[in-house]
Amino acid sequence: MNLNKLTIDECIKGLKKKEFTSREITQDCLDQISKYDSQIHAFITVCGERAIKESEKADEIIKKEGEQAFIRKPLLGIPYACKDNYSTRGIETTAGSEVLKGYIPPYESTVTQRIMNAGGILLGKTNMDAFAHGSSTETSDFFKTKNAWNYDRVPGGSSGGSAVAVSADMCIFSIGSETAGSIRLPASWCGVTGLKPTYGRVSRYGLIAMASSTDSPGPLAKNAEDCSYILNIIAGKDSCDATTSTVSVENYISFNEKNDNSKPLKGIRIGKPLSYFNIDMEEGYKEKVNESLKVFSDLGAEIIDIDLLDPKYSIAVYTIIQRSEVSSNLGRYDGIRYGQGRDKFGFEAKKRAMLGTYTLSAGYYDAYYAKAQKVRTLIINNFKECFNKVDLIIGPSTPCTAMKFGESDKSSMFGELMDVLAEPSSIAGLCGISIPCGFLNNLPVGVQLIGRMFEEKQLLYSAGEYQRVVNYHKERPKLK
Amino acid sequence: MTKRIEITKEEVIKISKLAKMNVDGEEERFAKLFTDTLNKIEILNELNTENIEETFQVTGLKNVYQEEPIDNRKLTKEEVFQNVKDKVKGLISTKGVFSGEENNES
Repeated sequence: MNLNKLTIDECIKGLKKKEFTSREITQDCLDQISKYDSQIHAFITVCGERAIKESEKADEIIKKEGEQAFIRKPLLGIPYACKDNYSTRGIETTAGSEVLKGYIPPYESTVTQRIMNAGGILLGKTNMDAFAHGSSTETSDFFKTKNAWNYDRVPGGSSGGSAVAVSADMCIFSIGSETAGSIRLPASWCGVTGLKPTYGRVSRYGLIAMASSTDSPGPLAKNAEDCSYILNIIAGKDSCDATTSTVSVENYISFNEKNDNSKPLKGIRIGKPLSYFNIDMEEGYKEKVNESLKVFSDLGAEIIDIDLLDPKYSIAVYTIIQRSEVSSNLGRYDGIRYGQGRDKFGFEAKKRAMLGTYTLSAGYYDAYYAKAQKVRTLIINNFKECFNKVDLIIGPSTPCTAMKFGESDKSSMFGELMDVLAEPSSIAGLCGISIPCGFLNNLPVGVQLIGRMFEEKQLLYSAGEYQRVVNYHKERPKLK
Repeated sequence: MTKRIEITKEEVIKISKLAKMNVDGEEERFAKLFTDTLNKIEILNELNTENIEETFQVTGLKNVYQEEPIDNRKLTKEEVFQNVKDKVKGLISTKGVFSGEENNES
């Protein structure tokens, strides 16, 4: 029946009307995985039996409680995939690394716990750059994940497995995490919708840390509306993560079934930063993004040119902050309480932890770490000024479409360069979403919207209205 | 123009010890990479940060206190020990930390 191709919204409607069961959706997803994952390698672990059992339980609840069940459990019976850096109790969690191979968490991350409480069903854990250190998923210690649109291309990273699992219809939605680009970049390269929430909107408890001051858990899905469903579940204060915000959580679903308003974005001002459009981009990419600007304008939004700091400074700030925080976060792996020894660290982890050790060390702290944190303040102030004039900022998600395997080795800062357009907003803790806006040589192109802190609702609404009139997000790769 | 930064092989060895990372045979490669990266991030010096405060926490949280009781999420001793490879009499065994003991297993 191909129920694996459905969105969350379509699943819920069908489950409520008893057109199909959760077991059938789950089985279709597992069938898709067993059919294609030996080629694509999106998953590190698949927990099929467990998922089927959970789906049967979900069907029981729906049978007993009917539609009412979805009030208590809004994601009831929906199968999803989760990046392998979320602790899942009793299920191996590796963060794509040899260091954590064999590690069975004794506790559940807040994100996966909340999805579980909401009735979501975990299909498996997806591949990623080891410890999320990368932008192509090539640095996974286990294997490389292929882009479903073109098997010679990388999916982007570090949430590459999660993005591919969605684009190849192996799940209904997936969970990724972003430090600076790790959701938006793979979403863009795989033609799916990826939301990076505001820092502190979603709990990091149980998420294997990369850079603690920017790590943001978030969803990858088939459209913006589905991202709203997921954010509704995972957002909010968590007593286990002191950095989660007390700012109240909204209902992020704001789509009307019948919208007669042809100018739904009237009154919304979207800023177009020239510095984001003037970077070195793949030929034809900018034009695709400009086409989406035209759509937003047709929907009633006012497009305003704005001045944002050249994103090249963010590359430098991000490199220092991230390497420094990585050096601290990787310090805990001693192979004594869990995991393997430090000799199992791969090249990328060594590179980052060692440079971070250097930038934090006595004599260099002020020149590097303190300087970077000061420029971070400049970047934040710069965004604040812009957000006095506009409600959202628009830009390309990445400078190019999915790259070929091996390209990432060509630069010492490959990831930082690919994520150049995500870094400023990540450093500032803002929310952002990448949505498909066309194709270039049969590869997806992504456009991103950036919003003020905690204004995910605005972001999701605008992205959702765009997807109501444009169908790029519905295109799917032909799998071999 | 600021002076070009150069990370030497010796510095890489020193950093690797601080970071507890093994770089055997790859010292040159790391030295070259670090030199390259550090020179690229020099562009931050183009920006004036005089009288600018650092931002460590972007949402402005300060002194977050925990209400009692903390949470019902607790681990049993069995759960804490389930991933430990080397256990002795109900304790976690580690390598020695004082000089001469570093290589003593348990």
